[in-house]
Amino acid sequence: MNSGFFGAFGGRYVAEVLRGPLDELDLAFQEASRDATFWEEFHRIGAEYVGRPTPLLFAENSTRELGGARLYIKLEGLANTGAHKINNAVGQALLARRMGKHRIIAETGAGQHGLATAAICAKLGLECTVYMGEVDINRQRPNVYLMEVFGATVVPVASGSRTLKDAVNEALRDWAGSYDTTHYIIGSALGPSPYPDMVREFQSVIGQEVVRQLSEREVTPTAMVACVGGGSNAIGFFAPYLEREAPRLIGVEAGGRGPEPGQHAARLNGLGRTGIVQGYKSLFLLDDDGQVSHTHSVSAGLDYPGVGPQLAWLGEQGRIEFRTATDEQALEAVQFFARNEGVVFALESAHGGYQAMQLARSLSSNDAVVVNMSGRGDKDLFITARELMPETWHEFLVSEATSIAASLEEGRSR
Amino acid sequence: MTRDDAAYRIMAHMIPFFPDYDASVQVASALIDGGASYLEIQFPYSDPTADGPAIQGACATALDRGFTVSEGWRFVRDLTARTPVPVFVMSYAGLVYAHEVQRFVKTAADAGVSGLIVPDLPVDSDEGLFAAAADAGVHAVPVIAMGAGESRLRLIESVGAEYVYASLRRGTTGSHTEIGPENSAFVDRLARSGARVLAGFGIATREQVRAVLDHAHAAVVGSAFVRAIGENPTAPADPVRRLCARLSGIG
Repeated sequence: MNSGFFGAFGGRYVAEVLRGPLDELDLAFQEASRDATFWEEFHRIGAEYVGRPTPLLFAENSTRELGGARLYIKLEGLANTGAHKINNAVGQALLARRMGKHRIIAETGAGQHGLATAAICAKLGLECTVYMGEVDINRQRPNVYLMEVFGATVVPVASGSRTLKDAVNEALRDWAGSYDTTHYIIGSALGPSPYPDMVREFQSVIGQEVVRQLSEREVTPTAMVACVGGGSNAIGFFAPYLEREAPRLIGVEAGGRGPEPGQHAARLNGLGRTGIVQGYKSLFLLDDDGQVSHTHSVSAGLDYPGVGPQLAWLGEQGRIEFRTATDEQALEAVQFFARNEGVVFALESAHGGYQAMQLARSLSSNDAVVVNMSGRGDKDLFITARELMPETWHEFLVSEATSIAASLEEGRSR
Repeated sequence: MTRDDAAYRIMAHMIPFFPDYDASVQVASALIDGGASYLEIQFPYSDPTADGPAIQGACATALDRGFTVSEGWRFVRDLTARTPVPVFVMSYAGLVYAHEVQRFVKTAADAGVSGLIVPDLPVDSDEGLFAAAADAGVHAVPVIAMGAGESRLRLIESVGAEYVYASLRRGTTGSHTEIGPENSAFVDRLARSGARVLAGFGIATREQVRAVLDHAHAAVVGSAFVRAIGENPTAPADPVRRLCARLSGIG
């Protein structure tokens, strides 16, 4: 079986129960791909609802301050619901509707994919259930709130490490019993075939816009930089360039608190091992006995032990270089771009932002570096505010909690 | 009393190190005394995607209590040395692949294992499992779920497995399964190939066992034992033996 593989990575390693639904999905995706009306609707929703094309910002002040390459930021985080995740959610939701499925399930880490899925389900009138690890619910509460406002059911996942990978497990379990009526929208370019191909195709709209936007300004990029959790923003951003020799493509993983096991989520560059997890073969963080390791990142969206199979393969081929940024470096990048450009990166995307800063410094003004701000940082308020202005934020939260408690009390006594 | 006295053929599932090593050794003995015809030993994995809450939780506990694959083999070797009841080992692709499929199969054979069940290494994405098992004289058991299309059924039949594992409904392990015309017909369809059908998912009562065995070679019981152990973690042997005896019909 060669289809669905990228070199040795990828595949469809699932229990027989999920084989039928995946075969059906594969066929439906191939048919939709050949149907011009499917893409017309995808692009119409992109323009009217998502807000495409998203801008490409010349980061003039940052360029001056860094003193090297010209730096451009793809403001993908300006898409409706705040991140690139909406591109894939729209594509798969349209596909689900085409397949006659009226219920959607999704996993989410940072909440961006869950939010995007909940939003498009509200718009298309589909029932929506989102699985989310308890740890992630606690650190991304604003997104949970919004998903519920959109009418989605958010199911807390208490098993395993209670983060993204456990949410994927729970969604797979749901799907094994519900596939007759339900489509599972995986949020990243991973999982069993055909998901990696499908997610890349829907996300490649990012890269196609960048190609056009750069050529309008007659800019030839030296390097493109994106953060890599599962890798959907990176593969979509890089997609038009994968078959070319230039520009340099740089993926940035979560360096967390450092290279010790359990303290990061960096799978490339030797820390990950080839494994089969959640239906696909790729590089994973595993312990000595082959169990999936716990990971850490300040950003829930990068806190995942595996990487999309096509990225693993492109890393092996040397087409994509991989670097890391630590929790602290990501926070540094959030502040840098906020002050210099009036743009708030999501913590995930700020990992890419940090390495773009380093790269820009090391290159000359003849060079151009493009970084994908895959998400904006509104959702990180409770993490960044706590780090950057703990006292003010504490005071605010206490007063807010006191005021809510008082109105609840008043409600009870009435 | 042994399996020879059993009225009903049970494949009894258990997890080494759940609730801890010594207690799990006692559980194995209790299942044998309770008339189990086969033992299915699940090697716990961090991400058991086909399992419901009972087995997930038990696997997490077993990993906390020190389960490793080499400890798992020690458990199995001790078991096969003291019982003629055939032992099948079940785990997930992640763990089997990490220990190299060929080596995992060879170690299983050396430990006296009769068969291997790895649901997410299906026959056409098996990483060499079926060939390695044939070489080592171990049964590789394909897992087939209700609702599988005819072309998948034929593909699975084409490997000529002596045992096949049938999931009697969709979804994951542990929640209740109604045995009716649809899943009975499914088991009959599988049995027509000549394979011995091990049928499970949500089997917890003697009535279900009886209904399943009108069609299948053996009824697989898993989560029901896990729950019985969970309710009696300090002394699981008696309740497990009683449950097994009730299901197998020796008690």
